[in-house]
Amino acid sequence: MLVGIPLEQSNSVVKPKDCAGEMSGYIVSVAESRCKRSFARIFSYFAPRLRSYALKQMGNEALAMELVQDTMSNVWQKAHLFNAEKGSPSTWIFTIARNIRFDMLRKLQNRKEDVCSDDLWPVLCEQTADANETSLDEQITLEQIGFMFEALPVKQKAVIEAIYIDGKSQQEVADELSIPLGTVKSRTRLALQRLKVMLQDHD
Amino acid sequence: MIKFHPDPELLSEYVQGGLSPINSIMIAAHCDMCERCEKIAHQQTLIHAEKFESDIGNLSEFKENASSDRKFDEMLESILNLPADKRALKRAQGLSASVELDGRRFILPKTLRKFIPSTGNWTSMVGRLWQAPVDIGNDSIAANLIYIGQGGGIPEHSHRGIETTLVLKGTFEDGINQYQAGDYVYMDSNDTHTPVCHSPQGCLLFTVLDQPLHFTSGVARYTNPFSHIFFR
Repeated sequence: MLVGIPLEQSNSVVKPKDCAGEMSGYIVSVAESRCKRSFARIFSYFAPRLRSYALKQMGNEALAMELVQDTMSNVWQKAHLFNAEKGSPSTWIFTIARNIRFDMLRKLQNRKEDVCSDDLWPVLCEQTADANETSLDEQITLEQIGFMFEALPVKQKAVIEAIYIDGKSQQEVADELSIPLGTVKSRTRLALQRLKVMLQDHD
Repeated sequence: MIKFHPDPELLSEYVQGGLSPINSIMIAAHCDMCERCEKIAHQQTLIHAEKFESDIGNLSEFKENASSDRKFDEMLESILNLPADKRALKRAQGLSASVELDGRRFILPKTLRKFIPSTGNWTSMVGRLWQAPVDIGNDSIAANLIYIGQGGGIPEHSHRGIETTLVLKGTFEDGINQYQAGDYVYMDSNDTHTPVCHSPQGCLLFTVLDQPLHFTSGVARYTNPFSHIFFR
């Protein structure tokens, strides 16, 4: 039993929508100061809900409790990845539980596909703005501006192609072309500026 | 305009993590290309999150069991002993975003890019048809990239299993419908068709033949979702 941190049963009576702000605050304080009291509040609110959800999904108490434990462990260990601007605490925690459920089912069913939940829903992945994260809109734009792209100087074109189409990092491009990283960066910048101007003229 | 979408029911099962890996991949890749379905999937996620939050379950019954409270206490304590994990998973970097055929480059939707390294060489088949096998790790599922050049096609065929196709580029028609980039096409043993491509730039497809698996174990929800749900 955890001394001094009672589970607060009263939390379960709070209406869901009213406590999103409160729960966000607790997650932030876990992220910033590893506050155990805040986590205990998150736990006492969400653990029973997760258990109920998991029981319905997995139909088995042991698996359900495993799902609760894995989900809440992620909340405790990766609270810094929560972003209140992107969604409510319940949505975040639901998506973590969903990912764990997906991976548990995959294992239980012995599915051989080389696919895990992070490939489908990068809930606990750091969102980097690398080339692989470009949205389809951006890709379509890339296709549409193909002719503008052709108008770029050869050296800039090579860099843009390697980074935005082949998905290489700037360092990889520098190594391949045997040029300094700074040159790759300036060529990228110049090319993007040029494309921007061309796009504006096009509009 | 994308005309062929997975059924909302399927999207709902997808966002709950209840579809098989390969079916999930097909839906995720379609959502990469289809703003409409991406939006529906997002809304479905919110709906299920809300349901999850508002259902505290039969806690009183759980608590009648004296050991249950203790289980939660023990769980909380063991979690609090875990260290913070600052290593965020990073999505694989440096992965190529495109495949090449005869000097032409095709950008793949984000979800399919992880399979680019496990895509085999292109083989030229009959009728301006090219095929590259994609190793998704499961031998009982045939996954392929198919390219049909202008005027090319696939001889009339029916389907033994269930075939799901995502049109990645260009258009094709099969005597029943015309399909275009982003379309999610479902075919089962009732369907006989003759795909032909008339578009000047050809068309690129990602197709999986999923032999329905017969599950006998207890996790009953893990059913083959492609039983009848497909709509236009």
